[in-house]
Amino acid sequence: MLSIKNLYKSFGQPGGEVCVLDGLSFTMQAASSVALLGESGSGKSTLLHLIAGLDKSQSGDIEFSGKQLSTLNESALANMRRHQISLVFQQFHLISTLSVFDNIRFQAALCQRFDNAFETQLIDRLGLSSLLKKLPHQLSRGQQQRVAIARALLHKPKLVLADEPTGNLDEQSSLEVMAVFTDLVKSAGSSLLMVTHSKEMATFMQRSVLLHNGRLSDI
Amino acid sequence: MKQAILKALLSHYWRHPWQALFLLLGLTAGVGLWSAVQIINHHAEVSYAQADSLLGVQANYWIRNRSEQGIAQADYIELRRAGFRQIFPVIEGQVITPDGQLISIIATDLLALRQSMPEETVDQTFNGIDNWLQLVQKPYRAWVPQQLADEFALIQGDQLQLRDGRQLPPALIQAQTQQGRRIFMDISAAFTLFDTDQFNYITVGQLTTEQFDLLTSLLPDSLALVQNQQQLDLSELTQSLHTHLSAMSLLSFAVGLFIVFNAVRFSLWHRRETLMNLRLMGVSVKALISAILFETLIWSLIGTVSGVICGLTIGNWLLPGLSQSLFNLYGATIDAVIALQSETLLLAWGITLVGLLWALAWPMYLQLKHDVLDANSPTLRHQAENSSRQQLALFSLPLLIMAFILFQTMETAVAGFALLGLLLFAAAWLLPTLLALGLKFAQACVPKQRLIGRWMVSDGWSQMPAFRSAMMALLLAMTANLGVGTLVDSFRSAFIGWLEVRQNADIYVNSSQSNIVQLLESEQAPGKTSLWLADSHRQIGITTRWQDQPTLVNGADTRAPDSLRFPLAQWLGDTPDDALALWRDNSNYILANEQLHYLGGLKLGQTIQLDTDQGPVDYQVVGFFYDYGNPKFQFYLSYEEVAKRWKYHYSRGTALWLKPDSTSNGPSSRQQAEKSFLANGINRADWISQDEIRTLSVNIFERTFAITAAMNSLTLIVAAIALLASLLAIMQERLPEFAQWRALGVNTREQFLIICSPLLIFVVIAWLLAIPLGAVLSWLLIQKLNIVSFGWSMPMLWKMAPAWQLGGLVLVIVIVTLLLSLLQLRRRLPDALAELGELS
Repeated sequence: MLSIKNLYKSFGQPGGEVCVLDGLSFTMQAASSVALLGESGSGKSTLLHLIAGLDKSQSGDIEFSGKQLSTLNESALANMRRHQISLVFQQFHLISTLSVFDNIRFQAALCQRFDNAFETQLIDRLGLSSLLKKLPHQLSRGQQQRVAIARALLHKPKLVLADEPTGNLDEQSSLEVMAVFTDLVKSAGSSLLMVTHSKEMATFMQRSVLLHNGRLSDI
Repeated sequence: MKQAILKALLSHYWRHPWQALFLLLGLTAGVGLWSAVQIINHHAEVSYAQADSLLGVQANYWIRNRSEQGIAQADYIELRRAGFRQIFPVIEGQVITPDGQLISIIATDLLALRQSMPEETVDQTFNGIDNWLQLVQKPYRAWVPQQLADEFALIQGDQLQLRDGRQLPPALIQAQTQQGRRIFMDISAAFTLFDTDQFNYITVGQLTTEQFDLLTSLLPDSLALVQNQQQLDLSELTQSLHTHLSAMSLLSFAVGLFIVFNAVRFSLWHRRETLMNLRLMGVSVKALISAILFETLIWSLIGTVSGVICGLTIGNWLLPGLSQSLFNLYGATIDAVIALQSETLLLAWGITLVGLLWALAWPMYLQLKHDVLDANSPTLRHQAENSSRQQLALFSLPLLIMAFILFQTMETAVAGFALLGLLLFAAAWLLPTLLALGLKFAQACVPKQRLIGRWMVSDGWSQMPAFRSAMMALLLAMTANLGVGTLVDSFRSAFIGWLEVRQNADIYVNSSQSNIVQLLESEQAPGKTSLWLADSHRQIGITTRWQDQPTLVNGADTRAPDSLRFPLAQWLGDTPDDALALWRDNSNYILANEQLHYLGGLKLGQTIQLDTDQGPVDYQVVGFFYDYGNPKFQFYLSYEEVAKRWKYHYSRGTALWLKPDSTSNGPSSRQQAEKSFLANGINRADWISQDEIRTLSVNIFERTFAITAAMNSLTLIVAAIALLASLLAIMQERLPEFAQWRALGVNTREQFLIICSPLLIFVVIAWLLAIPLGAVLSWLLIQKLNIVSFGWSMPMLWKMAPAWQLGGLVLVIVIVTLLLSLLQLRRRLPDALAELGELS
């Protein structure tokens, strides 16, 4: 489903070019889950951005769902994200002017793919039933993160990219949210690539990889 | 410590230079337009104070012929021989260029003038003229101001061609104080140009009491020594025009202030974390307020300097138009070059500081009133937005009440403009509530299942804080545009209609009385059928003062074609014809212009007393006639009555109606008339056709309102800048949010629609509100302010076409600003996408 070959990415810094990804290769099967670990500044988020088509590499290939990302224009990349990829960040970026219910249905509405039974399941499992009519600013951070997760999963994307999704929550809440999150990803039939610092969170995944010196290795 | 706080706060502008730019732009635009008008007004006041000086010589008195027939050269020579060196003869006249522009000529005895001047005045006046004798020797020189030379592309020595084929003497291009658009020349050149041997009047400088008595005793009966009151008259007459300009400049300042308000709000919003961190580090609210006030002081100084520089530029740009208007309306001349006064600079700084403090106080209060950690809470921001909207709406109510009270008691132009200001600001402050209602309505119109559609509309709630000030600015600019536009259109229509009625003769002759009288007597002699003359109307008049204001009393042929159609605004009796019949048949009835009613307080049916040569005589006012563009009071009596009561009346010209051309191939009536004029010693310069008069009048009208149109456009430009500033602020403020949307798969088209849908809703609401508000504004301007200021009334001509045109123009402005801001978004979005997931 996802295949990365010889990916190279560097950033211009005042002291010279800093190489973040140095010939990185990686494959990921459909309906699998992978934890991406690494030190701060090792390039984890950069890798996620490249996979989502939000950033461009200097060289190398990323093939997702049979398509080379480097051959897609901005509009095709947006279309790919809309239908097949979901992103969950530490910041939730809910739409402040829409209710919780509308926020949950937002990406599904964009790609016109609704599954009412799954919607009910998401809302129940994430404990959002009583909050549906509220506006985002009326929720706690944990509640907002659950809405972001529901939004990311409702249209059953092929791949969910999560960047420390529980980084804003306390330990107990993180564990609870993570358990439900990974379970729901499975129910949606999606793959999950999650950046985390926590080895405990990585245990929820089928596989863990470490990004070090610009390359990935299984741990 | 204080330095560190200031450094921390001001460093924001290095990171966000465009915010500093918009703050500066708002200040410059607002202060610039305001100070431009202040500089012009002050400049005009100084010019009025010098109005009685010509070529550096003060005119304290004038010697005029009581019958306005001119002054013989012999009378002047006799006075010079009696030892009066401070008297100078003047010939004033007007010439028309081939493209229909009217130019004033002033001629005096330059040789005598130079001889009587002190050394330093000679240097000042004739500075830069190599050989001044060329001015007084054949072929003479036309002393042309630089501005006029530029306008007609004249270079030194060029001879300006006139419409009737004549030429002015070779041009001597030289700037001169108080010259305005007038051309100076020696009296001998003017004798030739105007084909006359008489002066219009003689100016008289300072006189001792003995000299005054001697001069009075030497003057023949036909001449009168008149005190010069021009400075007083000009100040009074032009006051309303300057008040109008001041009001428009204050409106521009207010619109500019909205940009400042927006820029300050965003700069504080962007620095909310810095402010929070400083408070967490123990910096007191008091210290933060002091630092922000210091920042305000710095901005006020920078804004004043840039604004006043901009004001000087705009002032110089607007001055020729204003100068033309003042000359056409009031005969006032102002200098071509303006200078900055220290009072204007101080006043500009004061108003900038007050404006900045007003723009800064509210956002700063919102930012600092909460506890340290609460200050950035989205919930509190949401509540603050709602409450500020409600507070603005509440504040607008007292303004409306004050406006209503002022409406009942308004008696001066200043009170009228205060009323307009209150009304406009009340509407502007109500606007956010109306925008919120409009947004709710639009949301209700989108079907519930259309989530993306609802999102696009509902995003307006996020955009509203940023657009609020810009929409207020746009509302004010659009209202002013529609209101003033309607005023000008109504005036244009009324003025042209009035010209059709008042000046419907074919030819107007402005020759000395005897020539035209001879011609008319010969053409209308009993038993003779004129080949070309159908009818004529000779008018005479006298100048006097009524209620200490310059006043004309005209004598008209009550049975002439134009007298029968006198355009009356108010009349005694059932119809205007009833009032005109009374006036025609009874010499005790008098017609007065509207200015006498509205400004002089004269009532219909009232009896007034005029001082005649035979003592005071009572007349009853039978009607008020429209008299557009006349700053003076004016009465109309019958020709016979004026001729009987005032010995020294003067000719006000003669209107002639021509017979229709016969079908044969002979000369036309006009050709025959012109042949007769020349045969009777009436010069080509002394007659003018109706078409020429209409073209001239309409030209004067258009030039008079050119400055209004310019101010309108500038205000709209300032509003467009406010809109652009808001859009760019939104792009900056919501960039991470927009990047997140793109990450969710929102494409460029959808992103464009999300940004522009609420904006279009807001603009449409502001436009819809501007239409009735513009109508109210124009009604107040036409029915109240115009009457209070100028004493004219006219029907209001309201049309929807200008509102549609304005809507189209605003749409273009919105599209252009949207495209500019979307280009900015496109440039910055890749970086924002790469930063996604990073904590802000």
